Amino acid sequence: MPSWDDFQPFIVTGLALGGVYALSGVGMVVLYRTTGVLNLAFGAVGAMGALIAWQAINEWGWAEEPAYLVCVLFGGAVTLLYGLIFGPPLAGRDPLVKATATLGLALILLGTMSWIWSDKARSMILPTSTESFMVSDILVNYTQVLGLAFGVVVTIGTVLFLQFTKLGTAMRGLANDREITATLGVPVRRVEASAWLVSGLISGVAGLLLSNLVGLDAATLTFLVISSLAAALIARLSSVVVTLVAGLVVGLATALATPILSISEYRDMAPFVLATLALLWLSRKGHSISGRAV
Amino acid sequence: MSIKLVLGRSRQVVRLAALAACFALFVAACGDDDDNGGGGGGSGGGDDSGFAGETGKQKASKCGLGNGKPASGEPIKLGAINTKQPGTDFTEIAKTAEAYFKCVNDNGGINGRPVELVQETEQTDPAQAAAAAKKLVETEKVAGIVGNTSIIECAVNHKYYEANGYYVIGSGISPECYGTPNYAAVNMGPRHSVTGATQYLIREGVEKLALIQSKVPGTEYIEGGFLAVAKQEGVPTESLAEAVPIQDANSVALKAVQAAGDGGGVVLNFTPPEALKILQAAAQQGLQDRVKWACSTPCNTDFLADALGTTFDDKLGVNAEMSLVSIDAPDTNLYKQVLKDYAPDIPLGSFSQFGFLEARIATDAMLGIEGDVNKESVNEAFKNIKDFKTDMLCKPYYFGEAPLHIPNNTDITVTPKEGTMAEKESCFEISDADAPIKRVRDIEKKDGNYTPVE
Repeated sequence: MPSWDDFQPFIVTGLALGGVYALSGVGMVVLYRTTGVLNLAFGAVGAMGALIAWQAINEWGWAEEPAYLVCVLFGGAVTLLYGLIFGPPLAGRDPLVKATATLGLALILLGTMSWIWSDKARSMILPTSTESFMVSDILVNYTQVLGLAFGVVVTIGTVLFLQFTKLGTAMRGLANDREITATLGVPVRRVEASAWLVSGLISGVAGLLLSNLVGLDAATLTFLVISSLAAALIARLSSVVVTLVAGLVVGLATALATPILSISEYRDMAPFVLATLALLWLSRKGHSISGRAV
Repeated sequence: MSIKLVLGRSRQVVRLAALAACFALFVAACGDDDDNGGGGGGSGGGDDSGFAGETGKQKASKCGLGNGKPASGEPIKLGAINTKQPGTDFTEIAKTAEAYFKCVNDNGGINGRPVELVQETEQTDPAQAAAAAKKLVETEKVAGIVGNTSIIECAVNHKYYEANGYYVIGSGISPECYGTPNYAAVNMGPRHSVTGATQYLIREGVEKLALIQSKVPGTEYIEGGFLAVAKQEGVPTESLAEAVPIQDANSVALKAVQAAGDGGGVVLNFTPPEALKILQAAAQQGLQDRVKWACSTPCNTDFLADALGTTFDDKLGVNAEMSLVSIDAPDTNLYKQVLKDYAPDIPLGSFSQFGFLEARIATDAMLGIEGDVNKESVNEAFKNIKDFKTDMLCKPYYFGEAPLHIPNNTDITVTPKEGTMAEKESCFEISDADAPIKRVRDIEKKDGNYTPVE
């Protein structure tokens, strides 16, 4: 069994990745609660945004900051566009159908990325990845700090937004009952569009961070959505605070399993094992946390 | 909230969880794949640096007869099978071979006749690989097989080729490409490339070795040489395998460094994108100086060197099965010229080097045929290849009659330096502590194919 010293660096990597899983999970939960769509293209959108940023910096000679902004805006734009085009016709369909439709978007984006950029080795280093500080004997870079910080800040911001703003209240209303909310005069399409946009912007940020924390690879970034999905499922696609905690737990569990050689090769199962255990536990307890705003 | 709504919402979540599980299975089917295939990292490396500029000062070799006269008449058909599937595409190799043959055809062909390369692809499906070989042999009736690179093709088809009298010049991955009588690869494959990287670290004085490679079928075969060499030198080892694509590179880098321990060395065997993730993660965590680092051939790309910046300058030893593309030498200059003229979209790098060399060797052999150029004479010529000298290899390529072939068993170590790969160690022999290498060396000495390193 590894020593405590061996585990410590994995706590840092686990919290950093967990923070981004939480960030992505919150984006997915907000969108799901507002529109009923589980966006499986979340990772693909972020991946493509990151690759566009890479293209802008390395091939078109852009400065870094505008390229990063393009990544985030791309995430928002593509997700919003999808929501505007496919949201209304699929609004009345089963959530499974709506989620499957986003899988189509994910595959289209993945194919496009493979076609344009193929699978060659690429690298985009954020300025925060080159700056670091020591915590005990462990080197922590600022991208890792950002990963955790964004997860926490976006969660808190989302909670406050949903509780205290008119748009947030409208989103909660839609989550509870779409038809009644519509009859009360809430502009449903506009509220849903806002949710699509915000979720997409979050996917752009997540794509940028993950391109550094994991690597700039289309397939890897696309399928990292699964870990975020696990966090969202543990939260029953309902509570953003639980999503944050679950994301951190998923990140930590996956990282801390790494130095334990007997289970290390199975650590990629951690997100789904945790999600399954959580869902089973919550089912046994006989009540659901769904319906709560935070 | 009513119980009905709660139960309804719970059912929704479970159904969505089931969809997500299916998504994860889809990922497992597509994502647990390696750019260079089932041998674990493989021995190919892609390079994205593009054409490097001027051809060089040394005069390039000629394509075939080099007479500038277009070939005409009935083409001499050759065949190639490459893996092409999401995440793994070796067709660059056959396409480069084709580019060389086009140059040959513009320069007199094979005694006036053009060469046509019929290219088949497979998707790591044994039935498909077998069907591709059957199509080449029985439908296309190719005279020879040149340019094969496939995750499974050697294993699936070697007996078929033996039964039909084909001697294959290709680039290998699986053990059968190096352990059967009718296949002589221009590369040395992942096992021996890992061995070469291991030898470099041992020379660097490491106290413990950790091999980390992609978790695909064939990892035990690949680590065989690593274990044999380390055992001979009395260096303790640890072998690790990671599912690809890697999703937590920071953790993987930490794990590798912890396995090697202080004063230890890490050998990576991954495709360039995966190796880059680990190396960048190591750099971001300040691990590049904690241990010594080495990598098998896939890391030999200027693109990886450029992406790493200066963080691993002179700190990463990459086992290079072929010469650097930057050298100024006749065959390498011809290689660059052929790509520029006939296949400008194909980047310089190990893959295209393999394809070029395979076609060049085959052309040279066919030009020596007296009489009719047909399946029998072509394969007889391939089998009799001996002492083919080229600046792309450390020692001459050969085929011959032997139960196994590893003609490329001597190579160099390169290292990133200011954005490109530079030579760190000149030609050295892959250690014969590994039994297949010893066997091949003994055969070489008996057959007169042994060339000692100078």
